Amino acid sequence: MSKCRIPLGPFHPLLEEAEFFDIKVEGETVVDIEMETGWMHRGHEKISETRSFTQSIYLVERICGICSTSHPFACVNAIEDIDNIQIPERAKYIRVLVGEVERIHSHLLWLGLAGHFIGYDTLWMWAWKYREPILKIAEMISGNRNHYGMMRVGGVGKDFDNELIPKIHPILDAVEKKMVMLSKAAKDDPVLKSRLKNVGILTKEDARDYCANGPTARASGLDMDVRRDDPTAYEVVDFNVITLPNGDVYDKLVARVLEIIESVKIIRQCLDAFSKVDGPVKTEVKEIPPGEGCGRYEAPRGEVFHYMRSDGTNRPIRHKVRAPSFSNIPTYKASCVGIPLADALITLAAVDPCYCCTERSIRTVDTNNNKIDTDLLNISRDKTQKIRKDFLKKAKTPVERIFEKS
Amino acid sequence: MNKKQKFFDKFEDRFTNIIEKKERKRYYFNVKNKDIIEVADYLFNTMGCRLSICTATEVYDGLEVLYHFSDDSTGTIYNPRVKTSLENPEINSIVEVTKGAEWIEREMYDLFGIKFKGHPDPRKLLTINNPEFGEDDHPMRFKRDKNNRKK
Repeated sequence: MSKCRIPLGPFHPLLEEAEFFDIKVEGETVVDIEMETGWMHRGHEKISETRSFTQSIYLVERICGICSTSHPFACVNAIEDIDNIQIPERAKYIRVLVGEVERIHSHLLWLGLAGHFIGYDTLWMWAWKYREPILKIAEMISGNRNHYGMMRVGGVGKDFDNELIPKIHPILDAVEKKMVMLSKAAKDDPVLKSRLKNVGILTKEDARDYCANGPTARASGLDMDVRRDDPTAYEVVDFNVITLPNGDVYDKLVARVLEIIESVKIIRQCLDAFSKVDGPVKTEVKEIPPGEGCGRYEAPRGEVFHYMRSDGTNRPIRHKVRAPSFSNIPTYKASCVGIPLADALITLAAVDPCYCCTERSIRTVDTNNNKIDTDLLNISRDKTQKIRKDFLKKAKTPVERIFEKS
Repeated sequence: MNKKQKFFDKFEDRFTNIIEKKERKRYYFNVKNKDIIEVADYLFNTMGCRLSICTATEVYDGLEVLYHFSDDSTGTIYNPRVKTSLENPEINSIVEVTKGAEWIEREMYDLFGIKFKGHPDPRKLLTINNPEFGEDDHPMRFKRDKNNRKK
């Protein structure tokens, strides 16, 4: 049978970000898949070298809108690793609290999108409805629904207000009830089961070979979680790591729903601890000595890895950012080949890809290494004016046409 | 004897500049280019580590690539470091050991111009579709004057 090539993207209604997939099919079966990147590249690693350590934390927060506390968390871990800075216990609880609130809302966002991708819009509306109260918790804690700005080197920027504890508990109870309902529905629902069971299987060997991480690896049976393996704040709480054996899309969905329930338990432990643990939320850090440090954190999508190198000044000389999707997206080569085209999209979406995180950044400079400030709005207006002028030169105006006829 | 001690004993004569950060379980050491595949193979297949990522950095006398291998059973990170020259930088590819290195080696070639010998698909990764970047443009490299100083 002859091969046919189907381009998907860079701009496609089913992809939430710009990305190009080149899918080769034989009949209906996918035989090869390639991906081209670069549409979301913004150059954070280079910009970070021109910012101070504290400014870098705010910069990496803007890499991704969904995991907006995972990058700062790993970044401060990396900076603290250079000088082995210890943070106060209350700061640990606040970091864990913010991280888990983010995990719940990110998993619910993916759950909704997955439902939308398979044409099950009821699930989409449900999941996003339950996500809203979680964003309210984030707003109560930090003042923002997203981009919390809580992480600092040596602790957190804002203390937790203990008066919020009785307000957060009822929201958590409601969300947990709904999540238990959703996990039961996922187990019983014939639509979800028939659509997702045995679709896009990523075997344990492939997951290990491609160095997958996060829920993608855990749903394939790899028992790894940075929160447990290399804790910098999570040693104060107790939780289970969800591992499932099959590696199909269904397992990835169930893993995320069960992780939400675990996150609710972690948040409850934090809220109980706040009334007992008091004290400062930040260690004073005067300077960062020369050296290098690796920091990591288990983001909702997997392991975020930051590497920082300092030369003793207030700016990093190298700041490497690796988001989980960078390792997880290449697994599509193992999971998408050999399945029908209709299943390929949900398999691509099942790793919860974040292309902004994957590609990060580039800065536009001219030949003298100066930054080019381009005003996109003005460029657009100039172009429209130019087209209009060119068009008017060739075409006659309505007034000219009237005089021509007469 | 634990895994870490066995590893350092096996490659004792081939590691230089070993930096140990025992509190956080981080180990940094220099490896020669010809040994990197063997070291990566031992870390990945024998010790069961996972390649987290590699970091390329331009330093004053050349380029260096730092591999971050994460041992998830103990939370340790092993960081072998390979150095290469500024002119014609080339390092052996470890894609034959793990497919997880495929994209990051393409990215390091793209941003720093380090060629990876034996890479199955040595194309650029991030600036491949950008018309303003040619094949010889590597945006993360410093601009240097004729005395090789950073501008």
